[in-house]
Amino acid sequence: MNRRYVRRDGDRQADNKLNLDPARGEDGMHLDACIKCGACTAQCPVAAVYPLFPGPKSVGPDAERLRLEGIALAPGCLAYCTNCKTCEVTCPSGVCITDMILQVRRQEQEAGTGKAICRLGMRDHLLGRAEYLGRLGTLWPPLANTVLGWKITRRLLEKTLGISARAPLPRYGRKFRTSDIAPVVGKTQSHGETESYGETERYGQSEEHGRGKTEHGCRKTEPSDRVKTDRKGRSTQKVVYFPGCFISYNDEATGQAVVKVLEHNGFEVIVPGFHCCGVPLTANGRFREATANAQHNLGLMQPYLEQGIPVIASCTSCGLALKEDYPRVSAPGAQRIGAQTYDLFEFLWVLHERGELRKDFREVQASLAYHAPCHLKAQGIGTPSVRILRLIPGVKIQELDAGCCGLSGSFAFKAEKYELSLQIGSTLFQRVQGGVKEKAFQAVATECGGCQVQIEHGSGAPSLNPVWVLYQAYGLGISSAIG
Amino acid sequence: MWDGLVIGGGIAGLMAGIRAQERGKRVLIVSEGTGSLAFASGGLDFGTVEQLRKIERHPYALLGETVEEAFAYFLQCCPSYHGAWGRTGMALTPLGTLRAADLLPEGLDASPLTHANRIVLVVPEGLKDFFPEVVKANLQKQFISSNIQLKRIRLKEFADWQAIGKPIPDTVYAKFWCSEQGRETLKNLIGEITRKMVSDSETLVFPGLHAAACPEVEKILAQAPLPVVEMTSFPPSAAGQALYDRLRGRFKALGGELLIGSGVERVEVESGQARRAIVKSKGKEISFTAKVFVLATGGFFGRGSVASSTEVRETVLGLPLYVPPEWSESRFLGEQPYAYTGVEVDHSLHPCDPVTGKVLLENVFVVGRMLAHWDPWVGHCGGGVSLSSGFLAGGLL
Ligand SMILES: Cc1cc2nc3c(=O)[nH]c(=O)nc-3n(C[C@H](O)[C@H](O)[C@H](O)COP(=O)(O)OP(=O)(O)OC[C@H]3O[C@@H](n4cnc5c(N)ncnc54)[C@H](O)[C@@H]3O)c2cc1C
Ligand code: SF4
Ligand code: SF4
Repeated sequence: MNRRYVRRDGDRQADNKLNLDPARGEDGMHLDACIKCGACTAQCPVAAVYPLFPGPKSVGPDAERLRLEGIALAPGCLAYCTNCKTCEVTCPSGVCITDMILQVRRQEQEAGTGKAICRLGMRDHLLGRAEYLGRLGTLWPPLANTVLGWKITRRLLEKTLGISARAPLPRYGRKFRTSDIAPVVGKTQSHGETESYGETERYGQSEEHGRGKTEHGCRKTEPSDRVKTDRKGRSTQKVVYFPGCFISYNDEATGQAVVKVLEHNGFEVIVPGFHCCGVPLTANGRFREATANAQHNLGLMQPYLEQGIPVIASCTSCGLALKEDYPRVSAPGAQRIGAQTYDLFEFLWVLHERGELRKDFREVQASLAYHAPCHLKAQGIGTPSVRILRLIPGVKIQELDAGCCGLSGSFAFKAEKYELSLQIGSTLFQRVQGGVKEKAFQAVATECGGCQVQIEHGSGAPSLNPVWVLYQAYGLGISSAIG
Repeated sequence: MWDGLVIGGGIAGLMAGIRAQERGKRVLIVSEGTGSLAFASGGLDFGTVEQLRKIERHPYALLGETVEEAFAYFLQCCPSYHGAWGRTGMALTPLGTLRAADLLPEGLDASPLTHANRIVLVVPEGLKDFFPEVVKANLQKQFISSNIQLKRIRLKEFADWQAIGKPIPDTVYAKFWCSEQGRETLKNLIGEITRKMVSDSETLVFPGLHAAACPEVEKILAQAPLPVVEMTSFPPSAAGQALYDRLRGRFKALGGELLIGSGVERVEVESGQARRAIVKSKGKEISFTAKVFVLATGGFFGRGSVASSTEVRETVLGLPLYVPPEWSESRFLGEQPYAYTGVEVDHSLHPCDPVTGKVLLENVFVVGRMLAHWDPWVGHCGGGVSLSSGFLAGGLL
């Protein structure tokens, strides 16, 4: 194993680059651009329901001013920010509010002031590691789900670790494994770093397509004939897929649907043995580990990045981290990752604009509401999934525009924040319930797995990843949520 | 390829987008932020259109009859707004004084106050930026013969806020009024006040309610046995935000897409036509091609124009601007010439060279605060010019 990329105690120099780019200079965060209008705080979903949280204007640009004078905020003040980035999207003056917040959090963590209570330190340690929990959970998913389903387990978790007994912990599924769809054709031979992990798998060799029988009740699929091949029968167009923890441990079926949709469009899909993108670690104050994960993942991507192969993320938080945080990590590939990462639907839209998206759509009778995840909004690419789905005959899709769902990664799992998370999402839940009751739509489409879980928990309405609609339109199978 | 790409999603850009979508065009609005509606009162000013139309080069002079059409179109788009062409309405400011406005959302219309014998001013405890004593004093000054009373309300739902002495924003109150429990509380409160009503010429002034902008609350108010007058607020303004939400909702319901949070860096021009807008998304630049572009970037306030000590620049297309010889005048509240800075256009809103008058780009329309030769503060026509130029662009697109 190449030690260089798994350094857990990464040096501070590299660490500091994760969230603050020194090249942006003294006012790199556009502090001076703040006109004190308060629009950010007026839109912050947390400040609206939790009076003790001062809001983005106060903890961002206002506090930054004081910090420059050496006056720090009371520690813990920031713990309630969910990093949803609504403030930053709203700000008319382009102030980098969440960069300021994360920077202070990092300093608090380094100074040991942020985490006063040991029990919660342990919890943040656990929740930050969606990946390790996922690995445990997917060893024997029925057992994990049963045990986590017991009231007694949940009460114990709340008592001992402060993990809410009522929060919607996502169920574990079979681990996302590439071989479930296509055989592992070959481990990458040519690239040192990748080889050493030995988990890289490839799709796109057409003969074995369609073995995927998924939990969403999908039908078997026909082999894809779209993979462009060279003379030796190897696909010439490649993409790297970054599945993320939710797909890997809770929803492998969607991962397979993503792969099949890409294959249907003629791509060979490569999935190296990635670790967690690092977002849950950052959100739980584990910045150094987040950097180490980024370095590991960049090491795996580097050879593909050099060949100009795009990296596709279907999870909007992973995608945002790859585009925004990874370029600031010191590791090979960091210069390229931002420009070469695409959200899945962003990528499909680029194909569409080039006239390369396959449009052999069957009619899909589905009326859907669409919820834009906060971390999709923060990417600044609009809502490409809505655009793509509107190309499919029969699909009706309407954006909800009802703000944040309140889950925010692991925020809602914390006992003291569970109620708050439901309050944050209440506007969204009410709108969903109203729409379902009036039969305006049958389900909510949203890219983020966390949003899906929270919407189902808060509103009772079914929720699905929009890729399933495309999957069905391509005749690759039927998704139970839209029938 | 989009039919239209609108740069800037303030009132002018949204209006252009709505009208074009309604005409069956596919429109993308790219906007850095939410625009100045979030600070504006929620009322829209048109000014004395007949007078302003006579001023050479004022946008109204170019827009002609369009202004009246846009006025009517807006009322049709936003049925909760009221107004009559040529008759100016009144709204209460956060300090309790009156200000004129031509288009007002239902609750902001302050005219019932003029014939009220008794005015009950509701004082929601802890409401941010609300000064009941000042409001009462100002109301008394304007309505000398009215009996003005304060009605304080304290809600247990806000105990957490009150315990730490934190002012409660009107948007937070609004969220409560919209909830089931809040609606019940509101009904009871109105019931309690009207039980003690002595005559039928009484009016309730209720701050922070318009922010609710939800149909259920509007229904309760419509059924109340006395008029309920609401107030505008200091920025960030909930009534302005509510109008923004309405227009955005309408645009999206018509199938339009709004990309918010990242701006257009530049627009690539090929052989006299704008072709591609380059947007700075996270990690990379992405481009959108469109047949027609609308520049609605809001002037200095929206950062569509920026000034250094020596020059003024249009930030997206690099269009030449009309810049008045003197930028400022020494009286602070006097007429400030810088406000007339902007892009000169022809009757179809195409950008023109301020020296030669030649049309610069055939497939670009310039609207709203980006236009030259007007001052929203002096002419009291901020909403009117933005609305009608956006409306025209949406019709031409
Ligand atoms: C504080 C204030 C209060 C006001 N109150 C009232 C009132 O009560 N009544 C009234 O009638 N008028 C009022 N006005 C005037 C009126 O609101 C404005 O004239 C009108 O809103 C201008 O609309 P606009 O769409 O041209 O610009 P704006 O509303 O400013 O919108 C411009 C938009 O363009 C975006 N933008 C800028 N550059 C880019 C870029 N490169 N790429 C993408 N997007 C970009 C900005 O983020 C912004 O969203 C007020 C104005 C201000 C500033
Ligand atoms: S950070 Fe932006 S939105 Fe917040 S007060 Fe400053 S300028 Fe306004
Ligand atoms: S990131 Fe979200 S929760 Fe945090 S301050 Fe900004 S709007 Fe509020």
